[in-house]
Amino acid sequence: MTVYRIRARSTAPPAADWREQLAARLGGRPRRIGRWAELGLYGALQCMTAGGETTLGAHAALVLSSQHGPAFAMHEALAQAREGLPLPLTFLQIQPNQLLATLSAQLHWCGDARFVTEPDPLAVLDLALAMADGHADGLLLGWVNELGPQGGLCESSQWLRLEPVGDPGGAWHVLRDCQILMNGASHVRQSPSGLAVIIGPQVLNAIEPHW
Amino acid sequence: MTTVYLAGRALASALGPTLDHALSHLCGNTAPDATPYLLTDHRDVPYRRIADAGLSDWDARAHAAVTGVAADAGASQARKGALFIATSCLDGAIVEHASREMDFHALSRRIGAWLDWAGPVFLVSSGCTSSVQALLSAAEWLQAGKATEALVLGMELDNQLTLPGFAALQLLSPSRSQPFGLQRDGLVLGEAVAALRLSTVQAAPWVLRGGAHVVDGSLPTGASAKAVALMCQRALAVSGVNAADVDLVKVQAAGSPGNDAAEAEGLHAAFASMPALVSLKPLIGHCMGASGAAEIALLLECLERGYWPSPCDAVDPALNVQLAVTTPFPLNCVLATILGFGGSHAAVVLERNPL
Repeated sequence: MTVYRIRARSTAPPAADWREQLAARLGGRPRRIGRWAELGLYGALQCMTAGGETTLGAHAALVLSSQHGPAFAMHEALAQAREGLPLPLTFLQIQPNQLLATLSAQLHWCGDARFVTEPDPLAVLDLALAMADGHADGLLLGWVNELGPQGGLCESSQWLRLEPVGDPGGAWHVLRDCQILMNGASHVRQSPSGLAVIIGPQVLNAIEPHW
Repeated sequence: MTTVYLAGRALASALGPTLDHALSHLCGNTAPDATPYLLTDHRDVPYRRIADAGLSDWDARAHAAVTGVAADAGASQARKGALFIATSCLDGAIVEHASREMDFHALSRRIGAWLDWAGPVFLVSSGCTSSVQALLSAAEWLQAGKATEALVLGMELDNQLTLPGFAALQLLSPSRSQPFGLQRDGLVLGEAVAALRLSTVQAAPWVLRGGAHVVDGSLPTGASAKAVALMCQRALAVSGVNAADVDLVKVQAAGSPGNDAAEAEGLHAAFASMPALVSLKPLIGHCMGASGAAEIALLLECLERGYWPSPCDAVDPALNVQLAVTTPFPLNCVLATILGFGGSHAAVVLERNPL
């Protein structure tokens, strides 16, 4: 089982002025993409910066997930469709893969980028690690939402950068809570009994030992 | 490396609710014509719709097609494995037809419940390459030992946004689909619900050797020749297959003036000697996120039943490609490609199992 070090993460709620920060970083507000894609781009670039990277290796994988996707763009496109044809840009903005294309362009990277969802975020992680097994340059993994689980406005853009490493020899624990992955884990891997992580001592009492 | 077999397949399309119906139409030369679809700006465009008279509600149509193809593909054997739903436009259908908030998880749960699914239910929504990406993910899930069976379910049904959206982008043909055609003038869209059941424990006549997906963000609405070539090279490398071993390429070739040209250029870069090419778009239309699963299911059924989908239109000589007029021989290795929005280029390698 390949061991992945969590090289970098960006999991905090976005700053109140995240759109301005993104525009400043890019030298202008991104064109053609919707707010959901901007939110994803903001978090992914934060994560890449935290890891000291400006691009991904040719054999990296990128996995994006979301419960609601570009929900506001969808409502806008439906409203336009009721009046006639949707505007071309709005129609493109309802496609989750526009964020993948935007990230590819921003990172000057051409590679395997997929949008996949599952109600259990750990299942998405499990699938992403299965996918990353064939990708020597590791994984950039993100969950991007404009809405919370019940549908109210709640923006989040949580990203992890994972790179394959040798086993560091620490204690492995069964991963049952995505928050531990987001905040406390240093390494992650698949195991016969599920997902396993190495974490800091401050959250050890929240998990069970991995046999 | 664990062998992944294509153990079951099924398709509901404009050619009928099953692959049997489809082949009966094709062999009997009775395939239905595309039907006109009236856009909100009062133009009409050809559309290849699943004929399911009496069902108008989106949920009812989806339920009937999904449960039908899943049963035909042997989904009951895979129920404890993983389900991969692949679609590019259901989000619009969910919101518009069922008055629900756009929620991928709710859709996964609903379809999982229709199939009494016990394992994880993944949903892939990455434009037209969705079901090829789902195939790749399903194979990786099996290779990782997470299950011995998986079902890939490609699903595209009419909704309020897809055809108007493609029309707004001026991508639709007013006449017909002409893959690599001299007079090609755009896409003809179609509906499809297709299922491919993968298994590591049930040997079958075709094996999924591997594949590749490449996103090139420099052209977010179109194909790039460079990415097509890279996709082919990576798919062959992952599969342990040489370019010279490929007997047939099932191309995207949806009839788009620009993308067909980029695809042809990319194929020339990847193959020193061009394999035989086939397109299924004139038969069922471009079924977007379902197209990969739908075209693989239909192609394998055609090969098994001895039917070859000969091209109808003159090919553009500037592209320097030909569509095969008869079944290639030998035919042991197939590269199946789909290209789509988001600069997405996906391909899988299928190999005949000598059994």
